[in-house]
Amino acid sequence: MSHLFEHNGAKGQGYSQPAPVLPASEITLPSGLIRKALPRWPRLSEPEMVRHYTWLSKRNFGIDTGFYPLGSCTMKHNPRVNEVIAQIPGIADIHPHQPEHHLQGLLSIFHEMQYMLEVCAGMDQVTLQPVAGAQGEFTAVRCIQEYFRLRGEVQRTKVIVPDSAHGTNPASAAMCGFEIVEIPSRTDGRIDLDALRAVADDTIAVMMITNPNTLGLFEEDILEASSIVHGVGGQMYYDGANFNAILGITSPGLMGFDAVHFNLHKTFSQPHGGGGPGSGPIGVKEHLAQFLPGPLVGKRAAAGDELDAAVDENWYHWYQPTHSIGKVQQWHGNAGAIIRCWAYYRRYGRGLRTMSEHAVLNANYLRHAIHKATKEAGVDSLVVDGAEAKVAKHEFTLSLAPAKEAHGISAMDVAKGLLDMGYMAPTVYFPLVVPECMMVEPTETESKDTLDTFATHFAEVLQVDAETLHAAPVTTPVRRVDEVYAARNLCLRHPYDEE
Amino acid sequence: MVDQLPNLGREAEMLAAMGMTSIEELFADIPSEVRMKDDLPLPPPQSEEEILSDARRLLGSNVALGERVSFLGAGLYRNYVPASVFQLVTRGEFLTAYTPYQPEVSQGMLQAMWEFQTLISELVGLPIANLSLYDGSTAAAEALTCSVRVHTRKATQKDTVYVSELTPPDRLSVMQNYCQGAEIKIKLLRHNDDGTLDMDSVSDAVGSCGVYVEQPNPLGLLDGGVTQLKEILGEHTALIVAVQPVSLGLVEAPGHYGADIVVGEGQPLGSPITGGGPIYGIFACSKPYLRLMPGRIVGRSIDVDGKTAYCLTLSTREQHIRRHRATSNICTNETLIALMGAMHMALLGPEGLHDLAVRNMTACIMGKQKLSTIDGVRMPHSSGDHFNEFAIELPGDTKDCLEYLDSVGIVGGFNLSSWYPERTNWMLVTFTDQTQANHIDLLVRHLREWISTLEVAA
Repeated sequence: MSHLFEHNGAKGQGYSQPAPVLPASEITLPSGLIRKALPRWPRLSEPEMVRHYTWLSKRNFGIDTGFYPLGSCTMKHNPRVNEVIAQIPGIADIHPHQPEHHLQGLLSIFHEMQYMLEVCAGMDQVTLQPVAGAQGEFTAVRCIQEYFRLRGEVQRTKVIVPDSAHGTNPASAAMCGFEIVEIPSRTDGRIDLDALRAVADDTIAVMMITNPNTLGLFEEDILEASSIVHGVGGQMYYDGANFNAILGITSPGLMGFDAVHFNLHKTFSQPHGGGGPGSGPIGVKEHLAQFLPGPLVGKRAAAGDELDAAVDENWYHWYQPTHSIGKVQQWHGNAGAIIRCWAYYRRYGRGLRTMSEHAVLNANYLRHAIHKATKEAGVDSLVVDGAEAKVAKHEFTLSLAPAKEAHGISAMDVAKGLLDMGYMAPTVYFPLVVPECMMVEPTETESKDTLDTFATHFAEVLQVDAETLHAAPVTTPVRRVDEVYAARNLCLRHPYDEE
Repeated sequence: MVDQLPNLGREAEMLAAMGMTSIEELFADIPSEVRMKDDLPLPPPQSEEEILSDARRLLGSNVALGERVSFLGAGLYRNYVPASVFQLVTRGEFLTAYTPYQPEVSQGMLQAMWEFQTLISELVGLPIANLSLYDGSTAAAEALTCSVRVHTRKATQKDTVYVSELTPPDRLSVMQNYCQGAEIKIKLLRHNDDGTLDMDSVSDAVGSCGVYVEQPNPLGLLDGGVTQLKEILGEHTALIVAVQPVSLGLVEAPGHYGADIVVGEGQPLGSPITGGGPIYGIFACSKPYLRLMPGRIVGRSIDVDGKTAYCLTLSTREQHIRRHRATSNICTNETLIALMGAMHMALLGPEGLHDLAVRNMTACIMGKQKLSTIDGVRMPHSSGDHFNEFAIELPGDTKDCLEYLDSVGIVGGFNLSSWYPERTNWMLVTFTDQTQANHIDLLVRHLREWISTLEVAA
C-alpha cells in the first residue's frame, strides 16, 4: 500500500523553477522570523507524482466510472467542454479587483446567469456570491434576519424546518442565531399543515422547506403552507437542492416563496469534485433584494469610451444593494463554477424544461423497473416504497425495513452489495423519517438501458443471502471500512516515525 | 441538449412501461395554480461549438493578467501551476465524484485528502488540518467562531474576539456575518505607524476568546511581534494566524510560535486566481480545537481484512448528524481545489517550496529597491521585511495613477483607499514568482512619467 510520504528522493523536485530575480542572500529576515526546519513534504519527480495520482484516481468512483444514483445529489453528467471553457485565461487568469472595463465579458455572463436563475425561480433578484448550497441558505436567512430587524420585528427568533429537511437547513439558521422549530412530517412523508399551524405565530421568521421534498415528493399543499407562514408575517425559504425536478414546470416564486438558493453543482452540472467546489447563488423577491450581499451586476446602455470595452451595446457594472448584509465570501463567489454552469445552461436554453422532464421520467421509470424486477425475482416482499405516491419527482425513496425484518439485511448491506455490482450506492439512511431508507436519483443523463440493468442487479442483490451481503463489498479496492476504528484511533495525518 | 439526454425519443416506450401515455402524467401532482404558463424566456439551445465560441468571445474580451504586466495581488497571487496538476485533476474519477460517503469506492480521494491534511499540517506546524473551507475569509470567520466555542466559558472577555484593524473590509465583513448569530463581539487591534502590531493593544485582548492577525499582514509586512503574541495571550485565548502559504518556505510556521489555529487563502498553492473562486481556505489547529472545529476530516483506518483504508471521521460535529448543533453548516467544500494544492505541494517538495518562496520574496525586494529610487514615492513601512507586496504613498490620487498605468498596458497595484478610505494616495504593489525584472523597470519608468505629469499640472 503506497502513499505520498514514501517518496523521498534525495533531490526530488517535481518541476524545475527559474532562478529568482535576485540571489537568496538578499533576504535578511530577523532570526525569529526565519523558518528553522522545512515541512517534511515528500520529494517526487514528475513521473512519480503523475503515477501516484493516477493510481489514486483508479481507486475512486465518479460519474464517469459508472451509474451514480446518489439521492439528493443530482449526479448528472458533466460536459467536458465546460472544463475547457473554465481554463480560458479570461476566467482562469483574472483578478476580482480588476476594473470593470477589464471584465465586461465576465460581468455580462454574471448578468445573464442572474437573469436566467431569476426567471427559472420566479424571483426578482439573484446574487451569485454564495459558494455552496449551505452558504446560500445562510446568506438568505441572514438577509431575512436584516429585513425583520429593519422593520423592528425583532421578536421573530424562530425558524421552522420539517423533520425531513437537509441537515444544513437547521445548521444554517442556527448560525444566524435562530432557534429551530422542527415539525413532524405526515406518515406519507408530506408536510403536516396542522403541525405547521400549531407552531405558526409572530415569533416565526422563516420556514425552510424543499419541494419536491427529500422523499422526492411534490408538496401539493405548498400554497397553503406559504399562506399559513405569510399569515403570521413569516417568510418562506426554498431549499433548491431538488430544483432539477421542476425547471420550466413550476417555480419557487409561483409556490409563494420569498427566497431560494440554487445548488449549481447539482442542477447546472458544476462537477462535484469529490466534495466541492460548488456554487450556491440565492434569489429573492423584491422586498429582500436590498439586503443581498454585494456587489451585484447591473446593466445600462454603454456610452462614450465604454463602447471600446463593451461586449454588446450594454455596460455591465457592479453595484451595492442599499441595506446589504455585506459579504459571505471575500471575492465574487466561485466565478469559475458560474462560468461552467453558464455553459451548461446554454446547452438547454429555453429547453431546460425538457431536462427536468427527463429527470422525472428517469426516476419514475427506475422506480417502476425496480419494483418489476424484484417482483419477477420473487423478492418484492423485501422492499417497499419509502412513501406512498402515484408519481415521484426526480428521486424516490425505498425502505429495506422488510428485508431487515425478514433476513437481517440492512439498507447499508444492500448499498455495499451494489458497490460489488459496479455501482455507486444510493444515499442511505436519509431522510431519517423512512426506516432503512435508500434514496435513489438517477438524473436525466442515464439511458433506459442503464436503468433496466440497474433494476435487474438491484433485484439480484436482494437475492443474495444475508451473510454474504454482510461481508460485501469484496470487489472494491478495500473492503468494508471500520469507521468506529477511525474515530477511536484518530490518525489524521501521516505519523512519520512518531508511530 | 440532444447530446445530454440519452432517452430523447424513448419517452413513449418508457411511459408505456409505466402504463402512462404522456409526460404530463408524471407531473399530475403539481397543482395548476403553481404551474408556469409560458415557456422560459431564455435563448434557444446551443451546440457545444456555439457555446465554446461565445465563451471565447466573451471571456476573451476580459483582460487576463497574463496579457499585461500586473502588480495586483492583495490576497490573491498569480503563480505558476505545473501542467501535470491540470492534467490529473480533470481525471473523471476525481472530477465527477461526490463527497466520499462510500469509502470502499472512494479510497483515491480519501487518501489524497489525508495526504493533503498532512501536507498542510507540516506546512503550518500544527497537528490537525481539515480538507478545506471555502476561502481564506470564511476560514478566518470559522476560526473566530471556533475560538469562542472553545474558550468562552473560561474567558474574562466572553464572546469577544480581537481582529487586526488592517483586515481588509471584505474579509472583516465575512467575519461579521459569521459571528453575529452567536452574538460575538469583534474588537480591533491597533497597528503602529510602521505597520507593526501595537503590543499595548494586544494586551487589551488578554482574556478574550481569540485574536486574529495575518502574517504577512494585509500590507505584506512580516511582523516579528506576531511571534511573541502567544506569550502575551496565554493558553485561554486562541491565537489565530492567517498566512500566505508560499511564504512558509522562508518564514517561521505559526504553529512553531504558538498559534492555535492557522488559516489562509490556499490559492497560491495549486490554483489559478480564477476571479476569486473556486479557491480554497486552509484551516489547521491544535488538539484542543479538534472536536469543535468546522469542516470534513479524513482519518486512517482499516477494513475488515485489517488493510489500511481511509474514511471521513469525527462526523458527529457536522450538520448531517448534529443538525442545528453542528460546529458549522459547511457541507460542500473545495475538495478538488485542495487536491490541486496537494498535487502542487507534492511536486514542490520542501526545497521547491523554499525556492518558490525565495522567488516571491526576492521579486518583492527588487520592487522595493527600484521603487525607492523614484522621487515622490514614499514607503510608509520601509523599515520592515515584506513578502509579495508593500504599500507606497504616491504624490497624487491612486485612482489617477492606476488609470494612467492602465492606459500604458500595466495593471497597477491595488487602490488602498478602498480598504482604508482616508488613504487616497496609497497603493499596494504586488510581486510574485511571475514578476520579471523588466516588469519592475517598466513600472518604475511609468510611475516616473505619471509623477512628471503631476508636476507639469502643478
